[in-house]
Amino acid sequence: MFLAADFLDRETALRALVDLKANGFTPTDLAVFSDEPIELPRSVLHRPSHMSLAAVTGAITSGLLTIGFVYFTQYNYPIVTGGMPTFSFWATGVIFYELTMFGAIVTTFYWFLRESGLMRRRRHRAPAPVVEPGVISLRIECPSDRADAARHSLESTGAVNVRTIGDAG
Amino acid sequence: MNESNQTPHRWGMAIDLDRCTGCQACVAACHAENNLPVSDPESAAKGRAVHWIRVDRYYEGEFPDVRVKYMPVLCQQCDEAPCEPVCPVYATYKNPEGLNVQVYNRCVGTRYCANNCPYSVRFFNWFDPAWTAPLNLQHNPDVSIRMGGVMEKCTFCIQRIKRAETEAKNEKRAVADGDIQPACVQSCPAEAMVFGDLNDPESKASRLAGSGRSTRLLEELGTKPKVFYLQRAT
Amino acid sequence: MATATEVIPYGEVRRDLWRPLAGASSRYLVALVVLSSLTCWGLCAWGYQLHKGIGVAGIRRPVFWGFYLVDFVFWIGISHAGTLISAILRLTEADWRKPVTRAAEAITVFALMIGAMFPIIHLGRAWLFFWLVPYPNSRLLWPNFRSPLLWDVTAIGTYLTGSTIYLFLPLIPDVAQLAVRANGWRRRLYRMLSLGWTGSDQQWHALERAMKLMAGIILAVAVSVHTVVAWDFSMAIAPMWHSSIFGPYFVVGAIFSGIAALLVVMSVIRKAMHLEPYLTPHHFNNLAKLLLLMSLLWLYFTVAENLTAWYGNEPKEMNVFGSRIRGHFAPYFWIMVFCNFIVPFVLLGIRRLRTIRTATIASVSVLIGMWLERFLIIIPTLSFGRLYATWGHYAPTWVEISITTATFAAMGVLYLLFSKLFPIVSVWEFEPHAEPED
Repeated sequence: MFLAADFLDRETALRALVDLKANGFTPTDLAVFSDEPIELPRSVLHRPSHMSLAAVTGAITSGLLTIGFVYFTQYNYPIVTGGMPTFSFWATGVIFYELTMFGAIVTTFYWFLRESGLMRRRRHRAPAPVVEPGVISLRIECPSDRADAARHSLESTGAVNVRTIGDAG
Repeated sequence: MNESNQTPHRWGMAIDLDRCTGCQACVAACHAENNLPVSDPESAAKGRAVHWIRVDRYYEGEFPDVRVKYMPVLCQQCDEAPCEPVCPVYATYKNPEGLNVQVYNRCVGTRYCANNCPYSVRFFNWFDPAWTAPLNLQHNPDVSIRMGGVMEKCTFCIQRIKRAETEAKNEKRAVADGDIQPACVQSCPAEAMVFGDLNDPESKASRLAGSGRSTRLLEELGTKPKVFYLQRAT
Repeated sequence: MATATEVIPYGEVRRDLWRPLAGASSRYLVALVVLSSLTCWGLCAWGYQLHKGIGVAGIRRPVFWGFYLVDFVFWIGISHAGTLISAILRLTEADWRKPVTRAAEAITVFALMIGAMFPIIHLGRAWLFFWLVPYPNSRLLWPNFRSPLLWDVTAIGTYLTGSTIYLFLPLIPDVAQLAVRANGWRRRLYRMLSLGWTGSDQQWHALERAMKLMAGIILAVAVSVHTVVAWDFSMAIAPMWHSSIFGPYFVVGAIFSGIAALLVVMSVIRKAMHLEPYLTPHHFNNLAKLLLLMSLLWLYFTVAENLTAWYGNEPKEMNVFGSRIRGHFAPYFWIMVFCNFIVPFVLLGIRRLRTIRTATIASVSVLIGMWLERFLIIIPTLSFGRLYATWGHYAPTWVEISITTATFAAMGVLYLLFSKLFPIVSVWEFEPHAEPED
């Protein structure tokens, strides 16, 4: 089941998170919703990301594909260069560079969609609390037997409007 | 192409500037032979005239010691043509006989080649060409008519080269020196222009190109032009 | 000039920044109609050119590239506005850029879209432009990858993709908020664009990481794009084109004109959309200082290019140089120097004179000067070629002037439409902060 609670400022939200983690909840159970990014210390809510690695890999792959494309197509198509070399690395260096960057861009965008879970279908998504402006909402995924412990943590650290969300709305 | 046991041709030209009188018969002949569009005075003043071969006039000295030099300038058929690498669609390239060919059907009209040609021998069809009567009856059937938006330039009368080569092949002989004469060479009354195979050391063009009076235009750019201008060193 | 702003309550921020999205004032409609008409006129001129032949433009032998290439380089240059403000300032964590980023990124995308039209417009057979793209065909033809024009295609294509993504990413949270409060077709549009954004910390993390990465990549691409456009010229052996300075020169010029365009746009939207509390004198002050810096950098490059040409005294180059300094193009050259250096230096260098109004005047002056600079790079070199017998002068016709004007109008139209659909100041990034006295 999903519990949601609202906090009026960052400090209370942080305290609640620390408390919840002390009670055994893991970052995968917790999600913080806000209408602007909240800086939380990494020790509290660590979200590992491989986006940089993905971008670099995408860039290198795209670059190699480009060189391969330019090289093989120029040798396989009967182009008439009239004495100029069929494939000249430095003359195609610019295209190689640009398409490497293009690979980085496209991979970054794709990885962003993947990491943020934005492209997942609606029914696979966990319910999200509607965020009021200026308010920070916390969502906890917990089995029913731990709901009371969670509620207690939330209320003791200053949460308002503790509620269940999901099928109940 | 010629017989397989002979070296391929490498067409070049030698133009003797000390013989050239500036009569511009070559210009007129080229217009007739290659279906060049004809401009009216207004377009010509706006720089739209097309002359695959033109005669440039250079005045040297002060009156009364003025000398005029006439220089027919046509496509130099450079061995390392700066117009070739910049065409995005390979519409211009060097063929196996050393000619820089322009493929009209492939040209999309970016005009980069014309900007990069230091001799400014490339001409663009700004509109679909039109000829006032009766010039429209005078087209050469061996040469295609170019449409608007396409680049064109001197081809060394490639239609005449091809015809001579085909005849020679049919008669099972090699192309002889002097068999091929582009329209400009043919029409020059002073016989100032010589066309020939630069790969044949005995051809008249080769011998003139190797003479002490032989220079090339804008040679310092490294374009390796195949038109040799013969003039006194002074 | 600057005052510390009070912290604006969040509800008021949203109200102010969302207000332009609803309804349309009569001024807006008049502007939209006028600019759309100019754009249509330009399109008609282009249609006329396609029908009659490119000879209706003023280009001629030997000036085979004219206004269209000038406009091309100019608009690609303007597109560097977003890159500088968004990417560089994001990477250096300069907070003052935040209300300005979306306006800048929008300029980039629209300027790129407009600039990318010109390689098609200037073609002799424009309907065959797709031959520059490698695609399998029955005649087994392939484009020439070693031509700088193909480099242009990939560079601008990459930059356009990157800028669109870079504009879209920070738009997602704003659009998600708008989706909640909108109705009808707008709601559907915003819902679709928001991709199901809920504002979870995982999503914010992903967004921030992506923005950081994109900022770095976009910066690398932007530098290369304008270098590649510059190399269209410097790869040619025409006198005064074949210079290694062109790459950096064009990049500096692009950032310079980009900042000027951004300043002008910001001035207009500040007045038109009543965004005075959000686009404060502090922002204009910083942009003005950047503009001044770029003006000095531009001067440095201009002096370097001209001094070396003059000192080298190579005859063919001196013909072009002479025509620019004291010959046929001299009036344009000195107007350019006045617009690009004197005006910004005086209006922005003297602190007392540096206001929002003078910054806008200086920016308009810079835009004129930079357009002239592109003109002076392209036309004199082509007019005065290596063989004296080939010299000729270029004059534009109504077709080229119409299309050039239409591009400015098109930029306006695109911007007007964009500002009606999306908040021009990024709501989620906006953090009113106390600003230092300057």
